[in-house]
Amino acid sequence: MTGLKPKKEAGKWRFSVLGLYIQGVKTALASRMAYRGDFIMSMFIMMIVEFSGPVITMIIYGNGASFPGWDMNEVLLLQGIFLLSRGISFPFFMGIVWNTIGRVQEGTFDLLLIKPRSILLMSIVTAFDSEDLGKLIGGILVLRMALKRLPEQPLSHWISFFILFLFSIILMFGFALFMAGLGIVWIGNYRIYEIFMSVMDFGMYPKSIFSKSFQSILTYIIPVSLLASYPASALLGSVDKDVILALLASIVFLLLGLCFYFKIVRNYTSAGG
Amino acid sequence: MQRAVMKKGNSTPRVSKAVITATYKENFAYRNQMAVSIFVQPIYFLVHYFIWQAIFQTRDQVSGFTFDQMLLYFAVSSLVEFMNWDSSGNKLQRLIQTGQFITFQLRPVSHIYFSFCEKIGQRILAFLVEILPVMCFYILFGIRLIPAKPVWAVISLLLSFVLSFLIRYTIGIFAFWFVKTDGVSRAVLLLTNICSGAFLPLNLYPQGFQKFLFYLPFQFVSYVPVRVFIGHYELAGITMTIPQIVFLQAVMVGVMFLVNRALWYLGIKRFAGVGA
Amino acid sequence: MIHVSDLKKTFTSYERGSSFGEALLSLFIRKKKIIEAVKGISFDIEEGELVGFLGPNGAGKSTTIKILTGILHPTSGTVDIMGFTPWKERKKYVQNIGAVFGQKSQLLWDIPPLDAFYLNQAIYRIPDSEFKKAVNDMVEMLDLKDLVKKPTRQLSLGERMKCEFIMAMLHKPRIVFLDEPTIGLDVIAKGKIRDFILEQNKRGTTFILTTHDLEDVEQLAKRVIVINHGEIVFDNSMDKLKQHLGEKRTVHITAKEKINLENRDGIVVRKQLSDYDIEVVIDLSVVKLNEFIQKINEESEIRDIAIEGPELEQIIMKLYSV
Repeated sequence: MTGLKPKKEAGKWRFSVLGLYIQGVKTALASRMAYRGDFIMSMFIMMIVEFSGPVITMIIYGNGASFPGWDMNEVLLLQGIFLLSRGISFPFFMGIVWNTIGRVQEGTFDLLLIKPRSILLMSIVTAFDSEDLGKLIGGILVLRMALKRLPEQPLSHWISFFILFLFSIILMFGFALFMAGLGIVWIGNYRIYEIFMSVMDFGMYPKSIFSKSFQSILTYIIPVSLLASYPASALLGSVDKDVILALLASIVFLLLGLCFYFKIVRNYTSAGG
Repeated sequence: MQRAVMKKGNSTPRVSKAVITATYKENFAYRNQMAVSIFVQPIYFLVHYFIWQAIFQTRDQVSGFTFDQMLLYFAVSSLVEFMNWDSSGNKLQRLIQTGQFITFQLRPVSHIYFSFCEKIGQRILAFLVEILPVMCFYILFGIRLIPAKPVWAVISLLLSFVLSFLIRYTIGIFAFWFVKTDGVSRAVLLLTNICSGAFLPLNLYPQGFQKFLFYLPFQFVSYVPVRVFIGHYELAGITMTIPQIVFLQAVMVGVMFLVNRALWYLGIKRFAGVGA
Repeated sequence: MIHVSDLKKTFTSYERGSSFGEALLSLFIRKKKIIEAVKGISFDIEEGELVGFLGPNGAGKSTTIKILTGILHPTSGTVDIMGFTPWKERKKYVQNIGAVFGQKSQLLWDIPPLDAFYLNQAIYRIPDSEFKKAVNDMVEMLDLKDLVKKPTRQLSLGERMKCEFIMAMLHKPRIVFLDEPTIGLDVIAKGKIRDFILEQNKRGTTFILTTHDLEDVEQLAKRVIVINHGEIVFDNSMDKLKQHLGEKRTVHITAKEKINLENRDGIVVRKQLSDYDIEVVIDLSVVKLNEFIQKINEESEIRDIAIEGPELEQIIMKLYSV
């Protein structure tokens, strides 16, 4: 039987995790292109929606008000980073939340379980959300605008920014795992993601505007401040030393997310949907 | 109510009562989904609280709002949003796209009426599961949820309830012309959010944009009822008394209804012409 | 190839009252309810078999299939399929099986089946040459031609189902699980699908078929397992199943003279349409068919006769209603 052993031929990177993922992206794009007009429209709207946060900021500053300690362009930079983080995570992996909820409800989650790959990988491969690329474009545009208006930053700032931004994505992935896990338990509850969206909202503003106790929660427990506040501060060269704790917290958060997700999947397979 | 129905022998109110009860029961299964709001809304509100607290540190007023009024604005507008939310547009879209709406054409009750009753049933449940708990949260938070002119506030809220339904339902009718309307309905939803004042008080926007917004129906969905609740209306430099703006709101409901019926008529004609 | 022994699966569910008070109460006190879906079943299936796996709704059929496909863990018991324990070595195991669900499409609605095949190629790590050969072979067998390049939504239900089969068999699985594979199809499409299954079976693929369509079972399965209330109530060949209620035939006769068949051993009158037109059920263990026909012909002169085999539906109904 030829199908028995997976062959490791040269140049078969297509069958690697990344190769499979790219095939999934291609398939999702092809599906969405069937309704090109609606796709472009949806993507455009996604992009415009992303502007709403920065627009509020501009309106607030336009009315002469401000966040203490931050000028408008700095806040826009922070929000641009926030949108970029969303713009990367939403199309590329956040779709597992909706994918899982939908599949568990329809009973097609089982179809992923009869594939010879990790269930998490299968959930991600079949969840690429092409419309959310609009979010990515929106994030890039806001960030570009803010960077243009701010003085140039030294390379060291950029390096620490990229490191912290990586953790922003890690945190997002942790969120995705928790939400997807909840989606299996809480069958058919499409509003689960709102819980996460609302908590994420704290990340769209400078950490310093929140009360001390909230700042602690947002740094040590659910380190939402890593989503944008810390990376923005890093780029502007003014990170406080609590950032180390936030980084640790984000790693713990990711590990807990993984444990939670796989525990739920195990429960699903032992108890049945 | 019940007795009046019996006497008149008129079937319409009985149908509405049946539809309202059925929808209430049908949605009861989703009460956990609705209850997500009890968790989510306080968080959104806290974020707003911190944003405006930070902003008001350096000043007493933003566009005529004090800090307390600003919080009241967001609290009331979120409640209005809960009260007005409905999925009639999406449902109608699906009915049209699958051709199932024909079964409604065969019933003695018009679909728009049926759909409106559904909304009432759904919102009664939402009132118990979402709105009351969130109101409790606001009150505990120290927001004074007392309308300046209670009677006018109730009238304005009811009008906005009807108007928001008409807007969503009208969007659903577009399914007669487009195969897939996800994009369009998303766009309109966004537009409604921005232009209704659910997002930010409309008088914070630039002057020119405010003038433009004044002539759209959206302000009457959220901004107007919230302003009536607070007791003072002002947009684009136009100040009106409460009775005046509520009258205008009623006119808008009438206009929207006519637009809705006209589009429905054209849609049905198109549907019959094309066939499906 | 498949060895199942003493397989058990129990579910624990919590009773939740329907009223608000009961729902509130259930937050604190929950009544446990244990449901035994599968109560210790055992069977073996050899390579190359085509087994019909039947049972009424809620009999434990789909729970068993879920366990066999590695989706669900059993409560106890052992399963050995090609040397794997499905739920323990899921990823390695499922590389060797395929599944077609009549009601759960694995194709993607808006794009051609061929594109969905490519995704499966990546998932199952199928080398290009094998992949092309497998697609071409099956496309030809199923007479699909260029249809695999058309968006799935434009295909007819029958064409779609054919593509589902290709999707499920690209990686040359040794065992294929079929769940209602012909549901909603027209007669011709059903026939094509059945031919395909038989052909693949001849080439060595083992099939396990669950369905409510008895025609599928009759035309495909050589062996039938019937499960009811979590237990196997029948496991034998198709022929044995047909004899399960005794060997009987239904005979419809139209004759020139009056027919009188009252009070004869082994003959039950089912319908008497007129004196000349009658439908009877004969028990072949009592009466021989040729003798019966001869006798009637002598008595009443047959004008027309129709003999129907044992009705599977009735046998199954009997098995289900225990």
